[in-house]
Amino acid sequence: MSFPNPATSVKLVLLGEAAVGKSSLVLRFVSNDFQENKEPTIGAAFLTQKCTIGERTIKYEIWDTAGQERFASLAPMYYRNAQAAIVVYDITKPASFIKARHWVKELHEQASKDITIALVGNKYDLVEDDNEEDGLRKVSVEEGKGLAEEEGLLFFETSAKTSYNVNDVFIGIGSKIPETNAGNGAAPADQTGGEGRIDLTSNSVAANRAGECAC
Amino acid sequence: MMPPYQRTERRKSMAERRPSVSYTPPVIPHLAGLEKPQELSLKLEECDVLIMGTGLVESILAASLSWQGVQVLHIDNKNYYGDSSSTLTIEQLKKWCMEVNQGRMQHFQDAQIYVPGGKTTNKFKSKDYGIDLTPKIMFCKSDLLSLLIKSRVYKYLEFQSLSNFHVFENDDFSQKITTQTSKEDIFTDKSLSLITKRNLMKFLKFILTDNKEPQKKKVLQESSKSRISDFLVSQFSLEKPQINELVYSIGLCINEDTKTPEALAKIKRFLSSFDVYGNFPVMVSKYGGPGEISQGFCRSAAVAGTVYKLNTALVDYDPKSKIAKFNDGSHVKINEKIVVSPSQIPKFLQSSYNEITAPLKQYSITRLITVVRRDCKEWMSEQESSAIVVFPPHSLPTNNDQSVQVIIQNGGTGVCPEGQSIWFSHTSEQDLNRAKQDLESAYGKMETSLLRESTSDLDEAFDDHDFVLSAQGTPVFINSFKLGESLSNFVPKEKLEIVCKLGYVQKTYVNPDLSNIFHAKPENNVVLKNLEDAKNDIIFSNMPSAELSYDGIIGEAKLIYQKITGTDEDFFDVDFEDEDEEDNEYNEAHKVASTTTMKSVGSSGGIVGGGPNSNTNLHALSSDNENVIEDDSDDDHNPFGADEMEL
Repeated sequence: MSFPNPATSVKLVLLGEAAVGKSSLVLRFVSNDFQENKEPTIGAAFLTQKCTIGERTIKYEIWDTAGQERFASLAPMYYRNAQAAIVVYDITKPASFIKARHWVKELHEQASKDITIALVGNKYDLVEDDNEEDGLRKVSVEEGKGLAEEEGLLFFETSAKTSYNVNDVFIGIGSKIPETNAGNGAAPADQTGGEGRIDLTSNSVAANRAGECAC
Repeated sequence: MMPPYQRTERRKSMAERRPSVSYTPPVIPHLAGLEKPQELSLKLEECDVLIMGTGLVESILAASLSWQGVQVLHIDNKNYYGDSSSTLTIEQLKKWCMEVNQGRMQHFQDAQIYVPGGKTTNKFKSKDYGIDLTPKIMFCKSDLLSLLIKSRVYKYLEFQSLSNFHVFENDDFSQKITTQTSKEDIFTDKSLSLITKRNLMKFLKFILTDNKEPQKKKVLQESSKSRISDFLVSQFSLEKPQINELVYSIGLCINEDTKTPEALAKIKRFLSSFDVYGNFPVMVSKYGGPGEISQGFCRSAAVAGTVYKLNTALVDYDPKSKIAKFNDGSHVKINEKIVVSPSQIPKFLQSSYNEITAPLKQYSITRLITVVRRDCKEWMSEQESSAIVVFPPHSLPTNNDQSVQVIIQNGGTGVCPEGQSIWFSHTSEQDLNRAKQDLESAYGKMETSLLRESTSDLDEAFDDHDFVLSAQGTPVFINSFKLGESLSNFVPKEKLEIVCKLGYVQKTYVNPDLSNIFHAKPENNVVLKNLEDAKNDIIFSNMPSAELSYDGIIGEAKLIYQKITGTDEDFFDVDFEDEDEEDNEYNEAHKVASTTTMKSVGSSGGIVGGGPNSNTNLHALSSDNENVIEDDSDDDHNPFGADEMEL
């Protein structure tokens, strides 16, 4: 007899130039596996999606930039305690790849050292049948791979439109996140007990007390 | 499906996978050595409201307007969020101090920063610190906390409990009301006489009674003009230690002139905050206070459509064409209003600002912030990482008129590394020399007390001659008398190791008792002033107040909101869809974790303040609060908003 493991929460942040398909990528991941055509919840702090990898269930808390990246105005809060990041570029737009490099640098500076980063070249659907020399692809696979190798990132080419490789990104990230590191969205330093953290989602102390007594 | 690419495995290149196609890599720009992409100028033709400054009030305002469908452009002339209530690193603070002293940070002056030692003796990583310019604590029953929950902004934040309120008296710290305090505890305290206990009980009963109860109403009306200490002496025969505890520690009043209704509201604020989330009255947000919370509201505003651009300042505005010009060269048409934080006033508005603020009374807040290499666990409750220390009026050798309030936070709150703590102290003393002396004196008292209390120093207090080895090989004191009473007079030679010490003076037009927020009029609050020559398009906000809690923040945000939209009835009147399913699942999964958390702070019943509302959840509370705020009118003068406190 075995109990299912409780889901471990992983904060995942999205980075990348505007219009590379960050939100589409997440919507594809979140809706595909769960509800068809799920609209983002009004006022949702972040999107959540569970992902089962072998014995483990990972609950991603996915933070979209909400447009704050447009003028490089992302707050420190955005990077804080992020255990995973997806840096997205558009394989048909070289400038977006240059930006991707910038975001990777930014992550190394701002985020925690052991963050798992995936570099994702999106819009694969546009180049799938790209046989001509003057095809739409402007960033070669080698170029993306090269950057990934240089910086120690996971690398994927995806299509949010056809859902090609989208789940693989999240599964790939999930399997790279060390078990001990996936906590309640807390920093590694907190793992010793997340001391004193107050759960504001609970409605009242009474409820908690009741829970306690039942144990 | 393409497998994830890792160092160990080489993924086939496009050319390899499609051998039939001759593949030439496309030409893409040479990437080496590329720095940050160039910042774009604002490509925005128009917006409804321009907000300058990302301080806490302005950030709440941006989110509230945005969720109501107002197109907001939110800028800041700094390259960080938070404006005058920001959370900064040590390097950022160094720069900040320089700018203050160059006169480039309006409403701040006399900044000093001291980082002892060189890079070898004082090693620290600037980024490990998050130092609030205006640190604050959050009562568990408060309008901001209700809003954080309603707006879902709490999801971006982490809160920790704070239970220890220490008061300094007779040259020592005492603490009678703590997390472990139950009514029984107060009344079994051996240091209190039976008669004192009875009086204290009478007072607590009185304060927890409904304000509308006729007997209480009568007493309150009669005492509305009397000072709180006079009231406590005449009505309840309380003595100085209890008065200090009630008025300055748990009430956080700042001086002896505090009137009875204000003080009672403040004491009740503390008591009724018990048992909302556990057996503690106060919370602090992790990684920083107002600076962190303002980032949360900015993110919420961004989700609702606000455009953010830091490092940007307004250089000109033409009220006729309504065109605003920015230092990045862009022009934006402003359909409605411009809100200007007092620290972001453009040159062309300076004289108008000076003119309209001239009749207002200005208050100084002097702050001293010290980062020490101690975790100060001695002062904190088990499992906690923060504490409050209060020096009531006339408790310091400087004979301070105003109390000195100190928030202490160690590495557990994420504002500094483990093993260190930050002491945030401030005073509303208006004589700046005295203010600085009071703060230094308070610092000295805390330092002495800490060195005296900490066990590691006990070892250093004795030298080898004080010990002999017992037959078992364990050291035994020869002079055991050194332990008893004489130790309390022990003054350590050693000083606390300091990472960084920072002092500055902040100016504000907000009264320390918040009366001109709760009862704002054009004569007492800059928000309500009209700037005729800009066709009333421009609204100035206030600098942060001296208040230690977040009280008054929502009041200010609503004041500006009302001035823009004409009403505050729809302030955050948004139906945020509930992710019930998700939340339930979440709670299931985390049941173990959350109960452990509650266990760590909870103890069984009989809690001070555990009145009929003790199990109120915050959703119910928020609606209660709103009703009461609307009910504001029939009350004469309530500097602290006692009616908001009435739950």
